[in-house]
Amino acid sequence: MLKNYFKIAIAVLKRRKFFTFISLFGISFTLTILMVATAFMDKVISPDYPDYKRERSLYVATMEFKNTKEGWLNRSDVSYYFFDHYVSTLKTVEKMAISTNAKASNAYVNNKKIVIKYKYTNADYWNVLEYKFLEGKPFGQQEINNAEKVAVISEETKTAYFGDAKTVVGKYISADNVNYRVIGVVGNVSETLYNFAGDMYLPYTVSKDNYKRPELMGGYNAVLLAKNKADVPKMQKEFNQMMKRVPIPKEFDRVYSSADSFFAGMTRRIAGDGTNNGLTVVVSILSVFVLLFLLLPTINLVNINITRILERSSEIGVRKAFGASSKTLVYQFMVENLILTFLGGCIGLLFSILAIYLINDANLISNMRLSMNFMVLFYSLVACICFGLISGVYPAWRMSKLNIVKALKAQ
Amino acid sequence: MFKHLFKLIWNKRKQNFLFLSEILVSFLVIFAVFSFLTFYYQNYSKPLGFEYKKVWSINYDNGLLTKNNDSLQLFYDNLYKSLKAMPQIEEVTYTGANYPYSNSTMSTGVNHQGKKFDRVNNYVVGADYKKVWNVSVIEGRWFLPEDVVTKNKHIIINETLKKQMFGKETAIGKLIGNYDDKEKMKVVGVVQDIKANGDFWPAGNAMFSRLDTGYLKNTSDILIKVRDGADATFESELYKFMANTMRNAVEIRHMDEMRDAKNEVTIMPMVIFIIIASFLIINVALGLFGVLWYNINKRKGEIGLRRAIGASGSAVSYQLVMEAMILATMSLIVGSFFAIQFPLLNVFNIPASVYIIAMLLSVLFIYLLVFACSLYPGKQASGIHPAVALHEE
Repeated sequence: MLKNYFKIAIAVLKRRKFFTFISLFGISFTLTILMVATAFMDKVISPDYPDYKRERSLYVATMEFKNTKEGWLNRSDVSYYFFDHYVSTLKTVEKMAISTNAKASNAYVNNKKIVIKYKYTNADYWNVLEYKFLEGKPFGQQEINNAEKVAVISEETKTAYFGDAKTVVGKYISADNVNYRVIGVVGNVSETLYNFAGDMYLPYTVSKDNYKRPELMGGYNAVLLAKNKADVPKMQKEFNQMMKRVPIPKEFDRVYSSADSFFAGMTRRIAGDGTNNGLTVVVSILSVFVLLFLLLPTINLVNINITRILERSSEIGVRKAFGASSKTLVYQFMVENLILTFLGGCIGLLFSILAIYLINDANLISNMRLSMNFMVLFYSLVACICFGLISGVYPAWRMSKLNIVKALKAQ
Repeated sequence: MFKHLFKLIWNKRKQNFLFLSEILVSFLVIFAVFSFLTFYYQNYSKPLGFEYKKVWSINYDNGLLTKNNDSLQLFYDNLYKSLKAMPQIEEVTYTGANYPYSNSTMSTGVNHQGKKFDRVNNYVVGADYKKVWNVSVIEGRWFLPEDVVTKNKHIIINETLKKQMFGKETAIGKLIGNYDDKEKMKVVGVVQDIKANGDFWPAGNAMFSRLDTGYLKNTSDILIKVRDGADATFESELYKFMANTMRNAVEIRHMDEMRDAKNEVTIMPMVIFIIIASFLIINVALGLFGVLWYNINKRKGEIGLRRAIGASGSAVSYQLVMEAMILATMSLIVGSFFAIQFPLLNVFNIPASVYIIAMLLSVLFIYLLVFACSLYPGKQASGIHPAVALHEE
């Protein structure tokens, strides 16, 4: 049966080449855009170098003070003191990666300016996050305790600062007028991972800021790693319990900070605040946007499909006259439409591979490498099926409602 | 004639319904694109209001500087003199963090005669800010040294704020209230608007106040205007000097690069949006074309009959094009109803002229699109030979 439908579908496609072209153009282009968007979302959301342990991690990035009476609000990154003094007491936290947000500084080599984004980190940062060391090794607790001026640099910085030197471990790099000894070189991190991207990583103890200051706000954020996936909700609960014990600063009456999953942390940054993680807002805005985007190609495809069905009214009339039920006809037409969508999807896939190649080649976002993986393919397949079903339902229904006598008489 | 066309359209309402909704959605998409483009173009065509070339910003971490106001004043005075003494540097000024292209905003509210003006950009600037940026004063004067010690704080406002507050009257010497209307500030000058957020964004309301001793401990930015001879060698010297002075993190940035970065943030999404929208429109155009073409082939009998009775070829194609245009008009009426809500409800606080121009452009665009798509099918219909067409039946 399916084989027959397939044959019919191909025959119909061959019949009016112009219509086939319009349908395929619409489908493949729509799916291309969806696929590239999915690849981008996948890059941002799913575990990626160097942050592979997202399933057992929670992210703490903001501290918020509120004065509900006066309507004051203070929001900032978190202090080192907060992590060291409060969060480190949590029993469910196995390891904690603490680092500052990347700050820019300049270095001058051979009369050329290099912008170096540097981060201060603790020793466990290198255990929680799996940076790929091209040479050398990370700094450990000992270097931190001795406040040694050592640096782990990115591959990009190595090339920019040292040129084609083969090994740079042991050499000195000067930034902010301080000479740091390079002890390791790591692979570049995509800028979409704003928490982990940087050009130079330094022990937090060499930071010029006073990291010991007993305040809640500062320049740090952290990744809390649980022992296993099952412990994550427990860890979140323990964190929230702990927040109740944190003293509220003068002039305020509320203090908020939360340990979020990666995606929730991101939506909180975009649309949320201390009490609401903004997940629903972001997800609904995204869905509305995708639906609106799909609306136009869908209407267009429905329009063309209806036109094509009317062309086949005699065929439908004959099938109905011989006893085919409306259900069978709807089924047949849906299958045909799905075949068309899949054809479009395959062309779309080729286009999106090309588009992704172009985007990567142009390096639109520093070090971001989009890729087609099974996740993206899976979502694209789902999108394909949805698109095929939606654009097929109404024409199929119209087709099944066709009056036999009229259909046969028309020709 | 029109009555007849309406009848024809009504007879095929089911088919036309999809056609209508397609045009309607395309209109809304095009309206969105044109709204953005009009908004950006209107802002782009306004003068920049300052000169960014050869201006560098030096951002530093002020965490290690003394907290004592008097010694801080002395420190900054000395730093100013040392920088000014460098031969490559023409002008130097201290500034709050929200200088043009800095991605940082600081806004406040002001009150005038019981009316509150929100979201006024609050620029805290040093004495030579005007010289560094080459800002032109339209009315009154720039800050003078004696402005530091006055009963009412002296401020300078920009053209937009002046027009909103005082209309055509002069603003000089007027007193306006601060955010909670408790203190009064005296306007001593009006400057031209400066588009601090890049070429495509409006300047907005702005007021400038003098950077005084109390503000020094928050200061972490210096703006300098360099002479032609300033190259990377000089920059690295300047960098070393600043890093030694501050004993902390320092970053030097060039305004022209920051401007490009700022403009890119506007241009990139717009380019992506236009690419997607134009693909959608090509898609729709092909669809419309296909459907119209097909319909005309279906109506060969009707057209053949008209030709046989004596209608000319052009009359037939006129009829078909007019049918498509009437359909487009019906969609556009519905679409305009939605679009007109934007200026009426003053959505996003954008001037109504943007929406109205965008609406007119989109209407024109849709008419052109539908016309272009129906032209060829119409022409083809006019070529139908009555004998052949009627013979088929």
